[in-house]
This record gives sequence, structure tokens and C-alpha cells, in this order.
Amino acid sequence: MTGITIPELLEARAPGAWELYRKEGASREIVRSGADRCESVRREAGLAARWWDPASRFAAAGSEEDLARVLPEAAEAAASPGEVPQWPSGAARIPEGGAALDPPPDLFEELARLVSAESRGEAALRHLSVRRGRSVERVVNAGGLDVAWASEALTGFAEAVGRRGARACEARALFRWEVQPDLPGLARRLSDRATLPLCGRASPVDRGEWLLDVSVAAALLAALAPLFAGDGHPPWAARGTLLPPEISIVDDATPDAPYDGEGTRSRRVVLVSGGALRARLHDLASARRAGTASTGHGVRRSYRTPPARAARRIFFETERPVPPRELLASVRRGLFASALTAPLFCDLENDRYEAQFTGVAVTAGRAQGPVAAARVRGRLSELLRRVAALCPDPGFFPMPDPVGGATLLVERVSFD
Amino acid sequence: MDLDPSAVTRWLEPLAREPGEITDVFVERRRETVLTLRDGEVVGSQVASTEALSARWQRGGQQQLAAVSRADEAGLRDALRELRAALGRAPLPIRTGKRVEGEDPPPSVERWRKRLAALLARQAPRHRMRWRLLELTRDVFPARGAHVTHTRRLVSLEGSFTAASRRGDETRAFSFHGPESDTLSDELKAWLIRAGEPREAAVPCPEGETDAVLAGGSAAVLFHEILSHPLEAGAASPLSGLADARVAVPELDVRDDADRLDLFGGYECDDEGVRPRPVKLLDAGRLAGRLTTRSTAARMGREGSNGHGRRAEAADAPLPRGSNTVVAAGSVTREEMARRLGNGIWIEDFDAGSVELASGSFLLRFPRARRIRRGRLSDELGPGLLAGEILQTLRGVESGLGRESHPYRALGWCSRGGQVVAVQGAAPDVLIRGLAVRVQT
Repeated sequence: MTGITIPELLEARAPGAWELYRKEGASREIVRSGADRCESVRREAGLAARWWDPASRFAAAGSEEDLARVLPEAAEAAASPGEVPQWPSGAARIPEGGAALDPPPDLFEELARLVSAESRGEAALRHLSVRRGRSVERVVNAGGLDVAWASEALTGFAEAVGRRGARACEARALFRWEVQPDLPGLARRLSDRATLPLCGRASPVDRGEWLLDVSVAAALLAALAPLFAGDGHPPWAARGTLLPPEISIVDDATPDAPYDGEGTRSRRVVLVSGGALRARLHDLASARRAGTASTGHGVRRSYRTPPARAARRIFFETERPVPPRELLASVRRGLFASALTAPLFCDLENDRYEAQFTGVAVTAGRAQGPVAAARVRGRLSELLRRVAALCPDPGFFPMPDPVGGATLLVERVSFD
Repeated sequence: MDLDPSAVTRWLEPLAREPGEITDVFVERRRETVLTLRDGEVVGSQVASTEALSARWQRGGQQQLAAVSRADEAGLRDALRELRAALGRAPLPIRTGKRVEGEDPPPSVERWRKRLAALLARQAPRHRMRWRLLELTRDVFPARGAHVTHTRRLVSLEGSFTAASRRGDETRAFSFHGPESDTLSDELKAWLIRAGEPREAAVPCPEGETDAVLAGGSAAVLFHEILSHPLEAGAASPLSGLADARVAVPELDVRDDADRLDLFGGYECDDEGVRPRPVKLLDAGRLAGRLTTRSTAARMGREGSNGHGRRAEAADAPLPRGSNTVVAAGSVTREEMARRLGNGIWIEDFDAGSVELASGSFLLRFPRARRIRRGRLSDELGPGLLAGEILQTLRGVESGLGRESHPYRALGWCSRGGQVVAVQGAAPDVLIRGLAVRVQT
């Protein structure tokens, strides 16, 4: 490039209708599989441009020189005109470069000990990867926006295997820690998922209450999240009561990052309250279509792909949280779902869901013994209306964006 | 290619002095072109051109990797500096390298745009599709051995379209993957025609144990899950410790063949710079080879890797992974296969699959199937899940395989531990007894 900046190139191609995103990231990771150990250091830098000429275009590259070279290629294909978003504006100081990135803690031995203790020796930790990542992102646009922000996260993946006689079972868990590593919680999740299915016992109850562990409730909420990021709601969700009035669903990514991937300020959005749908999540494009303002939900999973509308940090809230012990005590006859044994199936369009899980039978608030596998399926609308109580958990699960967990009690559920 | 192989080797050599030390530099240049298509119009176009480089050192189970998102000399020096620091070796001198502009790819996007416009207008005029051309150039510079380079151009078309059926319009999912070639658009046309065929209203899939024919190449998905994954070196599964054991009928030959460059998972050399060899996973019904990397082969006491060290990206360490799962054809016609099945289900599509290696249980999801009654095609069936256990399912494969092996183009990507690599397969029709079917709500 000869003195012409990328913003100048974009302004020449699409006057008043462009956006430039930059990301610089670094991460350190420790991967352990038994005695095998891999340590990695990664550094990534990239830029992405979007513009309307008037068709919608996107180009990404690892450097300004490369981006300048691919801009004309992205503009080559004949395409229909698109709607230029309403650009956010503002400015935020670019964060100073932080201290050197520390390696993540090597937690394999400690977690292995906890998994073994939790499972009484029946489960063994097989794999653990822990990654500490830090990134600085910056968005400038034709509307004069120039904001930058930094973020850091400790994330990972663990795998354990439970064995009883000739039978074996695998457990996998993704985790994301914001303060201190929650090793006991992770060990319990892995142990339950790896050993409960080995008991071989079917569910002793065919109908009753269903108590969902925080990780299972997070999976349910993650499956529901697209409901709030679509242009329309399916009829079952739009009509009447979605949840009991005291339970809300909220998205608030302000603790993670002050802006979304399009430079719109993060904010708290109450999606469901008083039992009904109250709001939708919008990125710039969907806000333009809907004739409203973006809610700050343009998510970039990588600089190589355009931002997409999605929940960023969604969680349950309630005015009357009930401690998990009290929730358990209130179960007269039912099942506690400790872990999912297959991906949760949710058909939002047709109001159907199916969950396969392993857990514990509960009678009169007391655990009666493990259940290898059970299945719940039916109408999502019914499931949500029958949520009786919950206790939000401070932990968030990467699915892949953070989803809050909660211990959730659902009434009148049929089990297969 | 702007890195001097002799300079890379010179810098790597001090890191691989001891026997058993593996050191290499891996470079990836990735160009991805995406067209978003809606009802015959291109509504968005994207181009992403990125490059990355990683330097790796490995001895036994210990591994260090340093990755940067540039692929020039400065990037190489950065990565090697990180690697040397992690290993406690003397650092490289700091000097900024000159960036050399890469070559532009041949202009095939416009040709594809025109082809797609014509194809979709005729076969599926109402659609929401995403066409992607992924051009990957990978270079491997091992500390000992020659520098290798290879390029792949992978085309995918995925999305949904509205098909007319006897019960009215319905939305159907579509997925097609193949390496770019002169004949790929003809294959794509055939897949679109097949996907758009009129269908009867579906009835729910019967639950319980059933016999099934996996037709149209879809058996490749099953064998990818129950043979390719368990036979990745280091994987502990019910097949571990059964070397050379007969687990299926003698007619069944399954191999992993990265040399099949006509399939999506093929490559000329793996991501450790090793030329791949076809690996017999099942040889006349007996368990045979395993898929290895350089380090896993050394640990197994084998002479060398069979070329299955694969990385999702430059920032990932290579893992033993499958490529194209290819099942040898037999001699049975389609009609004879249906007659042999008698009563059961006929499946031609899977849209997802998984295997749990520790227990050996697998799950395959099919969007639709046909019931077979007395050897004849009967009701259209809705979506369901096919479940089973590896050894039991291998024992359930009937002798007499279909006489034509079909590439299964709906299979394109496989994820393991978050690392996604291109895979595919080809298989004849296969009859399997005693599978469990569950209806998908």
C-alpha cells in the first residue's frame, strides 16, 4: 500500500457505508492426556471489512496489505443490493498493552484426584486442556465510531472415562472460569456423566418432577437462545405465557465486553419477563430490517467471518430464587438430571424437544439411586410453562458464547 | 512460497539433535470465498485470505507449539523464538523479514456463480444456500527431510430449499462437498435432482430393533464412526487389543484412503509432510491397520507414519485422523439387496453421527428413510436415530455388499476435540442386522 489507509480505500468503495474490525489476540494453552503434555503459545492478528456498494460485501485478512488486496475480489461477484445499517458512533480509549500473558495453571493432577474421589475410583480423568486467552478488538466505521476494548478468559475442555467391569462410559465437559477455577464442580460433572450410566438401571418413575442440574439447564437455555435472535417468533412462543411470571430470561454481556463485534455498546436486555416475550436481540443488520436500534448482539466468533446476530451472555433470573437443597427437598417423586447423554434436541419451529440424560431417582426429597438413562420429550411450550422454581448459578458455560446455569425444577414431566 | 527451505532447516536442526525429537514448521495459506444465495440471487459475498505458521517440537509425549498468524520470515522467526524460549534453547536473532505477495488464485468463483445460478434455477428455485470455495495451501518443513507443499480446492454447497411433494411444499436440508474438478458440477446437479425428488408424506419411524440397508454411499458415515475413529492411534475403544481379530464377514474390506483426491478428505501429503498410504482398517473382515502420525508410529514401534497426522489449522498440533473411508464393493444388485433385507428400513442419508469410544456406542441421525416390506420399498419414514455398538454392528454386517461404491458427498467435515478436518468416503449398499432405531421427536 502506498500511504492509502484501509478506511480511505473503503470510503472510496462505499462512501458512508463501511466498517473495519481489527483483532489482536494471544493465548497460552496446556493440554494434558495422562503423561502426554503439549504446551502452546499462539498469537493472532487480523482485520475484517464490511461495506455496501450497494451489495453487502465482506473481506478478511491477516494484515492491511493482504486486506487491501482482497477487497476488490470480494467486490467482484455480481450481487443484489443490501440495506446499509444505521452505524453506531462514539469513541473509547484503546487499552494499553497488558502484561505478558501468564501460562494457564496445570490442573491435571488435582482434577484427576478430585474425579477419582468423587467417583470412588470408578472414573479417571483422561484429558484436560486449559487455555488462557487475551484479545484487543477495535471497530471503526463510516459513522465516525472508533472504539477498542480488551478481554481475557480462562476456558477449557475435560474428558473422563468411567469403568465398571467390562463396561465403560465417556464424559466430556467444556468450562469457562471467570474468577477461580471451580475444580470440585467440574469433577462432579465429569464423575456423574462417566459413572451414572454404568449402573444399568432404568428410571423407576414414569411421571413426576424433573430437577435439572446447572449444566443441563444451561444446555436447555442455549438451545432456546435462537428463539430470541430470529426475525419472527414461532406461533407457540408468541402466544400467551412462555414462562411462569416470576422467571425471566436476560442477556447481559457487559461483564465480558463493553461493546459487541460491531462496536455497539453492550447492554442488559430482558427477553422474557412476566411470563411473556419482551424483546429480541438485534445486530445492526436485523435492527435495520426491523426499524429499530441494535441491542449490541452482533457476535464475531472469528475475524474471518462476518458478525452474526446471537445471544452473548444469556441467563435465567428470578425474583424468588430457591436454594438447590430446597429444590431437591421439594421433589416428591421424580428424577434429577445430572448430565445429558446426547445433545439436547430442540425444534423451535415446531415446538418440540427431546433430552436424554443420566441422573438420580428422587422420592420425598431424597436420592433413591442412580438412573442410567432416561428420556424426556414433548412440547417446549409445555416444558417452559411447567418450570416451578429455580436457583440461578454464578457459573457460565461456553456454548460457545457464555450461557448461565441454574438448578431448575419442572413439574409434571413424563419420562421414558 | 516465500520461506527458504534451507534456512528453515538450518534453524530447525538445533532443535532436533536428539534421536526421537520431531521438529517441523507448518505453514497454511487459506483463502475462503463464500456466496450467500437466496432464490436465485447472490445476496452477499465474502472473501477471507489468511495465513498462519507454527513451529513444533515433540519428543515422546512432550510437545511444544508456537503459532503466529503470518507466514513470512518474520513470522517464522517469531514462532521459532517462542519455541526456543519454551525449550530453554538459545534464541534466534531478531530481524524483520520481507513480505512477499502470494499468487492470486485462478478466477473460478465467477464460473461457479454462473453454474450455480443455472443449476439452482432449474432444480431448486426457492433456496437459501451458502456456497463456499476453500483453497488451502500447506507447506511442511521438517527438521530432517524434504520440504513438501500441496494445495486443495474444496467446494461446499449447504443450506435448504423448498421442494414440491405430494403433501405440498416442504423445506429440505441440503449438503454437498467435493474437491473442485471439471465434473463436480455434474455431480452436484445429480445430488440436487435426487434431493428434490417428490416424496410421500412421512410416517413416524418405528422404534426398536430393525435390520437396515445403508444405501447410496451412506454406509461410509457408519464406517467412519465405528472404524476410522476407533483405529486412530492412541484411541482406546472396544477394538483396542483385538489386532488381527475377525470382527466381520470376510467380504468386508474397509480402508482409509487419503490418496483418493476425488474425495473431499484426500490430500497429497499430511500435515507432518508424510505422503499418505492407504490403510486397511478391515481386511477381509479382520482388524488390520491403525492411523498414525510420526510420533504415534514411533511409540507403536512402527517404521514410520502412514500419513494421517492432520491439523485443523496451523495453530493446532497434528493428531492421528482419518481421511476418506472407502468400503470395497461386492456383487449384489439394489433389488437383490432389498429382497435380502426382507423387512426393515432403507437409509440413504445421514446428517450427523457420533461415537463414544470408551463404550463403543454410536449414534447416527437420518432425516428420512424408507420402510421395506417383503423386499419392496414401502412407506416414507420421518427422521430417526440409528444406534448400536461397534463390535455388535460389525458382526451384524451381512455378506453380500452392493456392487457399486458411491461417493457420499453429504459427508464433509469431522470434528474431534474441537479440531475440524475434511473427510469423506465411498461405500456400496450394506445390509446390517440388529440395529436399534429411535424416532427423533
